[in-house]
Amino acid sequence: MSTVLLHIAAQPLGVSGEFLLNLLIQGLLIGVIYALMALGLTLIFSVLGIVSFSHGEFYMIGGYVVYLFLQKFGPSLPRWLSGFGALLAAVLVTFLIGVVFERLFLQPMARGEVDRPNEYAILTTFGLAFFLQYVMLGIMGPFPKKAKRFFNLPVFDAGYIKATKATLMIGGINISAGRLIAGLIALVALLAMLYFMFKTWTGRALQATSQDRQAAAVVGINPMNMNTLAFGLGAMLAGLAGAVLVSVYSWVPWVGVIASSKSFVIIVLGGMGSIPGSLLGGLIIGVVESLGTGLFPDPARAQAYRDVFGLVIFALVLLIKPTGLFGRKL
Amino acid sequence: MSTLRQTYDRYLPVVLGVAFLLALVFFPFFESDSPYWVYVGANALFYAILASSWALLAGYNGQFSFAHMAFMALATYVSGIIGRETGIWAMNLSPWVSIPIGVAVAGLVGLLIGYLCLRLRSTYLALFTIAFAEILRLVLKAEIDLTGGPNGLYLKTFNLPFLEGLTRVASTYAPMYYTMLVVFLVSLAVMYALVNSKYGIFFRAVREDEEAAAALGVHVVRVRILAFVVSSMIAGLAGAVFHHSPGIGIIVPDEMIIGRMSLVIAMAVIGGSNNLMAAAIGALFLHFSLEWLQEIPVPDALMPWLLQNQARLEAWGLGVGEVGLKTNAWRMVAFGILLMVTLRFWRNGLISPILERIMQARAKEEVARGRAAKAGKDLADVDKLVVDEEANEGGQ
Repeated sequence: MSTVLLHIAAQPLGVSGEFLLNLLIQGLLIGVIYALMALGLTLIFSVLGIVSFSHGEFYMIGGYVVYLFLQKFGPSLPRWLSGFGALLAAVLVTFLIGVVFERLFLQPMARGEVDRPNEYAILTTFGLAFFLQYVMLGIMGPFPKKAKRFFNLPVFDAGYIKATKATLMIGGINISAGRLIAGLIALVALLAMLYFMFKTWTGRALQATSQDRQAAAVVGINPMNMNTLAFGLGAMLAGLAGAVLVSVYSWVPWVGVIASSKSFVIIVLGGMGSIPGSLLGGLIIGVVESLGTGLFPDPARAQAYRDVFGLVIFALVLLIKPTGLFGRKL
Repeated sequence: MSTLRQTYDRYLPVVLGVAFLLALVFFPFFESDSPYWVYVGANALFYAILASSWALLAGYNGQFSFAHMAFMALATYVSGIIGRETGIWAMNLSPWVSIPIGVAVAGLVGLLIGYLCLRLRSTYLALFTIAFAEILRLVLKAEIDLTGGPNGLYLKTFNLPFLEGLTRVASTYAPMYYTMLVVFLVSLAVMYALVNSKYGIFFRAVREDEEAAAALGVHVVRVRILAFVVSSMIAGLAGAVFHHSPGIGIIVPDEMIIGRMSLVIAMAVIGGSNNLMAAAIGALFLHFSLEWLQEIPVPDALMPWLLQNQARLEAWGLGVGEVGLKTNAWRMVAFGILLMVTLRFWRNGLISPILERIMQARAKEEVARGRAAKAGKDLADVDKLVVDEEANEGGQ
């Protein structure tokens, strides 16, 4: 049924249904990672009430931590173990940077010690981005780095579905292992995060804080600690998104800029502060980018325009429905 | 009869202002043996215009645009492409015609973005402009036929015959330096006129409390769009003139990376974004210190030690030059730390409080003089009043 639909959809575009399906899958795989990153930004926005302009830099740091970890321990450990270790290291490092930054720079804002907190929030997170970019430029240099794939696919051949170490083939569709594994890890992390947010005490405390700080304080939640936790977790999610993508894209110190502007598009599209919005928005942006790139008339420029589609969506959302898909009122 | 102290207070701002202006005007003559520093000076003026126009937007109006460099590049590219295309049609427009067109286009795009974002909370402008800037850069890189792609667009340079003589007495980069100086002074004058008009008060009213301003009859959206468009056009003007000047003649898309934008913001914030002049001085000062920090001179005795550890230093992104330690990216890290600390502890910047202190004494006297005139007192009492007020302040 769905394949028939795909064929019908593909006819006027002049491409095969298989090609379209391939684009869709690629889009969803990358969309899950975008959603993970945007979820971090949403978490920060809903609890602290600010947009973190250093979100992309946590993404960048996460990737570099994985790269450095694999370089140092990769040769001596089995591949899967070094992969897990690297992810864990990336998560820890970004969480810690987030927590320390929040304590030093954002707590005074939450305590009401700075004038014009909105401006302060924008500038101070932007300052952190500036700082982190140049620290990593100093340490890693300006040349692109790429980590090795840290998990292999199990090799099998079941007729219609085949897999080698580096690719999964379903019919005529090839999915590279790097992207597949990145998408799957992001999906697991996303589900774990949702479980945490909706089923555990701490997660619900975070949500309570985002809804009403004073009421949360009355029932014994410390809003200040929730601020720190939310920022740390948000940074961690961005770091994880970077960690899974470092083996797919090549990494430079300013790689986070585009990533963060994508997260901005997503949270505005989904509605600022809405968790379902950021999930759906991530998938939409992933698919739109993938389809847009694949169907762009001039393939030479298509790759360069991949990031432009997001901006078009951004402008449309601002024009038509500034609250986004599920937004609360502004 | 005025005391020495009051004379000092009264004339200090004037004397310092004139000295600053003279220093700017005669700078190429002091550095006539090293064209490099005159070139740096022209760059510093370029950044000073950008930083102060950004301060107009952020400091006075409370809006954060991360697309300031993008408007700078947009105006330059438009002007450059017009110059190239008209060259093909044998019209050969001079840059002095194409630059205003470029600036107008920047203003128009600013109007469009302003219309999109400024009805909403200020965060949206920041979000949208950061995405816009990055994407404009990617488009400029991709459209190779139109923009020259990553290698950049070659621009027609303008000639200023009356400044040619200066290249002999001052420096090869003197024409560029003086053009930038004129643009700098003109744009500061325009911005000061704007800030001191009723719109300046509207700007700050909107920044402090949008609803209250609206209730008092300020058209909030129009005021915000005005600030955004004016500051974007000034950025465009600075960029177009700078890149069209003899000695540059090219623009590359990577000039508008976010890193450069952060530099402008950092300069404005460290100088003090609530004061146009402070932001400009901050930019001048920081640009020169960044250039100087590229290679920190060390005593000769330390050089062997540096050379010995060269490999280790290079592994950390440092380097050893002819006279000292090359700091590469780490000078920017120091700059980033300075930015964060300034933000946290000196919200008004580092230079703005100094300027305010200098201006304050004069302002205080003017207030006292006004009061005295109102009370119908003899102006001779004014000096006593000033002293009284100072004594009062001391007692509080």
